[in-house]
Amino acid sequence: MSAFTTAAEFRTAVQAWLDEHDLAPGPDRSLDAQVAQLARVRRALFDADWMRYGWPERVGGLGGPAVLRAVLGEEVATRGLAEPGIYSMVEVLTPTLISYASPDLAAEMVPLLLSGREQWCQGFSEPGSGSDLASLTTRAVPQGDHWVVNGQKVWTSLAQYAARCVLLTRTAPGHDGITAFFVDMDTPGITVRPLRTMHGVDEFAEVFFDDVIVPADRMLGRPGDGWRLAMDLLPHERSTCFWHRVAHLYTRLDRLLDQTEAPDDAALGAAYLALHTVRCRSHATQRRLADGAALGPETSVDKVLLATAEQQLFETVRDLLPGVVELTGSPWRSEYLYARAATIYGGTAEIQRNIIARRLLDLGRD
Amino acid sequence: MDPAEVELLTETLRKTMTTVASGPALDTALLELGWRELLAEYPEVAVPTVFRLLGETGAHASVLTDVVGAVPLPYAGGRWVEWGQGATAPGAGLDEELPLRLLPAGRPVPVAAGRRAVGWWLLGTGRAMLTLARGHALDRVQFGRPLASFQAVRHRLAETLVALEGAEAVLAVAEDGLGSLLAKAAAGQAALTAARHCQQVLGGIGFTAEHPLHRHVRRAVVLDGLLGSARELTREAGALLRAEGAAPRLVQL
Repeated sequence: MSAFTTAAEFRTAVQAWLDEHDLAPGPDRSLDAQVAQLARVRRALFDADWMRYGWPERVGGLGGPAVLRAVLGEEVATRGLAEPGIYSMVEVLTPTLISYASPDLAAEMVPLLLSGREQWCQGFSEPGSGSDLASLTTRAVPQGDHWVVNGQKVWTSLAQYAARCVLLTRTAPGHDGITAFFVDMDTPGITVRPLRTMHGVDEFAEVFFDDVIVPADRMLGRPGDGWRLAMDLLPHERSTCFWHRVAHLYTRLDRLLDQTEAPDDAALGAAYLALHTVRCRSHATQRRLADGAALGPETSVDKVLLATAEQQLFETVRDLLPGVVELTGSPWRSEYLYARAATIYGGTAEIQRNIIARRLLDLGRD
Repeated sequence: MDPAEVELLTETLRKTMTTVASGPALDTALLELGWRELLAEYPEVAVPTVFRLLGETGAHASVLTDVVGAVPLPYAGGRWVEWGQGATAPGAGLDEELPLRLLPAGRPVPVAAGRRAVGWWLLGTGRAMLTLARGHALDRVQFGRPLASFQAVRHRLAETLVALEGAEAVLAVAEDGLGSLLAKAAAGQAALTAARHCQQVLGGIGFTAEHPLHRHVRRAVVLDGLLGSARELTREAGALLRAEGAAPRLVQL
């Protein structure tokens, strides 16, 4: 069981440990270096047990409430130890394995991820299936005691570094015909091609599956559970991951305050108010999670608030550091450009508003 | 108070606010219901519940003076106003129902509790407008379809809900001076966002005096300026950030 009874107690202990153990990243900002740094941070935090709190003991954790993971991630983000987007991927992947993998598979695999020994990826989106994820066509066909997968995924984060993939495939028509597998990325027939992105960090890839053989015991859940698996992970993404991201954005507002020579109180205040709002909302979501609530479509509100705040912050950066994004080689440029994806990844802003209209406002079908 | 008691209280208050005439009669009715004792004993329940319900029902009462005192109140633009007791004289204000009178001057008073209270009022006003617009979108048929089936309309209402939910989260954790300032700013901004989108969704009918929307719109605009407008408070937060050199993290897990 967890030795910590409150989040505040845990935070104090983590802070003391991080003050003693220097995990600061080096000067290399390449993606290779970021991923290596992420592995280093996870490994150190796992070996010192911090990474194990908030996860169940049957997958190598030490138990305790999920809020401990939010606190740890906030410290990692606030100190800039790892890029928060890729750090938070465990928050989506681990609950998926816990809920859908066989107990033996989860117990074997999850520690490899938490300890930084492996990176994993999620094979969801396809060239023809972005917002309309349920139309995916990557096919899995049963053959003896295994399945044969053919198709293509895209926007697969960290696929080029990943040892495993949570893969959505089609095994029958419709939403109930989507089936998930846990696939080893070194299986013959898998080809990964990194995509060049607008912000210069090639974290996404295309992944091609050509007669890829997947053992039947690597199915996550049962045939047809894939859509539910995809829906179940959204609340995970939108609770703990969001808290991490908000902590990261606060560090960027601090940095802007430090660097700007063209301060504008109205713009700074507006950026701060938007961040404070999403922090308060995310705080409420964490509280509901701690009280045992099942998170659902109301997390689309968190998503819209976060994406809006992020874009507002980086537009303020560009306004109050005139010429820096455009003319200098500062890291602000990449971050400014990446913010443009905030209303696209993880379900577009339009999809979120559709969900809010349908599920929260009960406006019926559009 | 446990949730069942709060719910019972809420329903009693809602009934009172929808059946008793706003102004002096409602002041009396609230006193009889024990408003002052409730405020003294359970301010964390009394303020959100009563002020939010004023917004949702469109009623008004002089309860703000119980929170901040019967003193001149700062208004946007460096102005001062007084919350009149007793009968409402039709004023020169945009919201003629509210007994707010312009004063030549005033003296600084503590405003944090008042900002939280007016913030909850603004939130309730925003919710009232969203309820009206949602109902209209479902009922009104054009081109053979309910308005609610058009994505442009749905997204305006979704945007309104996002603003209101965000403001409510900020209000719910507001404690200190900065937290209350931010809560009032978020609530003012959300109510004005609701006014803009809901007015548009309600189209022509929402522009008539016989439809209730205009009363909520007027209230939102007037309450936004009371104890500092969203615009002013946001600027004030920015100045504070610059003075501190860092962005305070006000809520912790």
